[in-house]
Amino acid sequence: MQVMSLKPRNVDFQEMWASLKETVAGVVALQAVERGVWNTRFSDVYALCVAHPEPLADRLYDETRNFLEEHVGGLLQRVQRSAPLESSDYNDGLLSRYVSAWHEYSQGVAYLNSLYSYLNLQHVKRQKVSDAEIIYGSSATVSCPEHDSRQLEVGELGLVTWERVLVRPLATALSSRLVAALNAARDSSPDPSTADTLRSAIHSTVHVQAFRVRAPLSLYVELVLEPFLAAASAHHSRRAAHLLAEGDVSHFMKYVLDGLERELSLARRFLHSSSIEAVRACYEQACVEAHLPALHADIERLLKEASAGSIERQDDLRRMYALLKPLGANAMRPLVDAAHQQAVRDGIALLDAEHPKDEAHSHFVQAMLSLHHKYSELFSDVFGGAQPFVGALDKACSAVVNRRWSGESCARAPELVARYCDALLRRRAADAEADDKLAAAIVVFKYVDDKDVFQKHYARALARRLIHQLSASMEQEEAMINRLKAACGYEFTNKLHRMFTDVAVSADLNAKFQQHLRDNNLTTNSGFFIQVLQAGAWPLGGAMAPLAPPAQLERPARLFEAFYRASFSGRRLAWLHHLCTGELRTKYTQRMYHLSGTTPQCALLLMFENADVVSAREARETLQVSEEAWSRHVKPLLDAGLLTAKGDLRLESPENDEGELALNLSFTCKRTRIKLTCAAAPPNQGTGTNSGTSSGETAHCDDDRKMYLQAALVRIMKQRKVLRHTELIQEVVSQARGSFAPSVAMIKKCIEALIDKQYLERAPGTLDTYSYLA
Amino acid sequence: MSGEDCESLDKGDSDGQKPDKMFTLKKWNAVAMWSWDVECDTCAICRVQVMDACLRCQGESKKDSYGKQDCVVVWGECNHSFHFCCMSLWVKQNNRCPLCQQEWSIQRMGK
Repeated sequence: MQVMSLKPRNVDFQEMWASLKETVAGVVALQAVERGVWNTRFSDVYALCVAHPEPLADRLYDETRNFLEEHVGGLLQRVQRSAPLESSDYNDGLLSRYVSAWHEYSQGVAYLNSLYSYLNLQHVKRQKVSDAEIIYGSSATVSCPEHDSRQLEVGELGLVTWERVLVRPLATALSSRLVAALNAARDSSPDPSTADTLRSAIHSTVHVQAFRVRAPLSLYVELVLEPFLAAASAHHSRRAAHLLAEGDVSHFMKYVLDGLERELSLARRFLHSSSIEAVRACYEQACVEAHLPALHADIERLLKEASAGSIERQDDLRRMYALLKPLGANAMRPLVDAAHQQAVRDGIALLDAEHPKDEAHSHFVQAMLSLHHKYSELFSDVFGGAQPFVGALDKACSAVVNRRWSGESCARAPELVARYCDALLRRRAADAEADDKLAAAIVVFKYVDDKDVFQKHYARALARRLIHQLSASMEQEEAMINRLKAACGYEFTNKLHRMFTDVAVSADLNAKFQQHLRDNNLTTNSGFFIQVLQAGAWPLGGAMAPLAPPAQLERPARLFEAFYRASFSGRRLAWLHHLCTGELRTKYTQRMYHLSGTTPQCALLLMFENADVVSAREARETLQVSEEAWSRHVKPLLDAGLLTAKGDLRLESPENDEGELALNLSFTCKRTRIKLTCAAAPPNQGTGTNSGTSSGETAHCDDDRKMYLQAALVRIMKQRKVLRHTELIQEVVSQARGSFAPSVAMIKKCIEALIDKQYLERAPGTLDTYSYLA
Repeated sequence: MSGEDCESLDKGDSDGQKPDKMFTLKKWNAVAMWSWDVECDTCAICRVQVMDACLRCQGESKKDSYGKQDCVVVWGECNHSFHFCCMSLWVKQNNRCPLCQQEWSIQRMGK
């Protein structure tokens, strides 16, 4: 063997090509080629490319192409033989002949590519356009690379030739056979060798164009994917219609989901990995989307039965969700809406269920909790806790909680939830699970729209518990306030916190006062405990009622006032006599009775120290009880039989009262502890901060809300200067949501009021824009 | 000052005591309410009720979980009163009472 010379020289093309061609033919047909021969031919390619005086590369390239075309033409004959092109019989041998020819040729061409390395490197690469030019196009490369085969490496040239000369004529034959084989594989798994043939044939269509930068899968899509999807779609439609006809929706969904699994595994097994999604979409389109009305029609029934505990229906819903989810929000909407409606229906039924009247609050909260629990379980179990369903449940709970009973102007939820908390927080309730129940009540509370109304009820109940020491535990009270704070923020619980702190501070104050008494050798002569509350934080009506207490009460009061003045500065102290309670013991009766009553009641009784009969008017004037409060305090004493009326006693009009009150010296009672009540002050009395009936309540709430809205409006406008009506409404609503759900009508009224007060004006020349007036 | 009061009280009390009592007072649970001894309920500087913490302190306690509520009141010689926090910021700019324009000097502090 001669040593290869790198020097360009004169070569005889015909002679050299003749020997080269022989080797090329051997390589392409995968025949054995000796190493020596291989090396010589390798040098020959080099020699031709660098030939003197003219390089012969182009000629070599053209001859090679001619050779390959001829060779592939021969293969075409071998593959096709006499098989009819129109047939789709995938077992007639065409596919296996195709695959064996492909294996041989694709390998051979790969070797050939190595043999032509020099030509590829030095000759083709230089002419080749860059990838970027192919993708984005340039004046030189508007045409596809295969149209100008000069730009291809020899291996690529081989593949392009294969496609043009062999695949094109056989395209329909191959395509119809492949699709038929895939269809058959769907129903019964083919034997391994058939499966191999099928897979190789399909992947050959990918491989042939794998070198292409642009649309590398176009042949695969054209020959395999598109015909397959068309056939599959028709098949799925037929099958879905058939399934729907032979059974109910449950049956349908079950088989459709099974079918989807099989279809995907078929795709994974035989098709290119990029096609899985297309196969899935095609299946869903044909089986689910086309039958949406049929699926949607049964949603309500399924939900109803599933919520009643049917495991099969829950499975059905799970399938329904699996089927609808990939189709997007629109296909899901009926399911989400129906879930919402089902929860609302169920919730209303639960609330309307029979229950004892005085247990309305616990019935309400427990019904809501069981509703919430039931549907969050169901939705998380069946729908995987997907967001749309969580939202639907929230909406449903909120609708049920804030539902207005017919004939009521506002929802009862705020009051009921507050009463529920009150009952749990009271000492007599002493419930081991109170903590958990209170934590759970927050779940219901969060759905309440009128949180401001709740706050008023809660504050009043808290005041009652704190002042009369009815709380089960102060830790519990504090924990509950903190829960409310976590849900609604600092402003919501600010006053509750201050009430709570007042009680703690008072305990401290009492200890200091007792110490002060000891230090100064003073005594109050009777038990004394005081709570000093800060003004503004407590919802207490009828405050500051005047009273001239008798000496027994006045002494501790004076001592404490002196102590308080010395301890603090700049403070005013006012006694809330209607909230004070005194405990008296009777000495004049056979048995000793323990009486407890308000300060005015105790004071009245103490007047009988010196006289058995007292003129009613005189008594009232001595004690300085207001006319309005008089009967509320005296009546319980008469009712209990401690006092008796003499003469023309008229409690309702004390000015003209000529009657007298007498101490009942022969008083007896079964119980030894007697608690004297005192009706709450009626509305519009005292400071008017808070009062009983609900009409006064709503009116008051409305005022608070208007103030809140006006403040919010001014804040927003001050910041934004100019704002359109709808945006302004949106901002206000979002700010107010924490404490109540404002009506648009109310917001509009507030805007009008602010325009009147010249905080805002309608921007000149516009209809729906406001601007802020500094 | 309280000593005198108590003495007179003691006397009055012993006079009123009778050997033969109809009732004995066992215990008295009193409730009282305190407020700042001010002429105007609202702080003219921050427009918040003086019983509430001033705007700044409310803002602070929103961040802090247990907001300290010792936002006290201060009286000037002119007897006008404001939140102490508000006034201490005010006097940095203008050492006059915002209501009557008198030179500001503190008469007393709330406690």
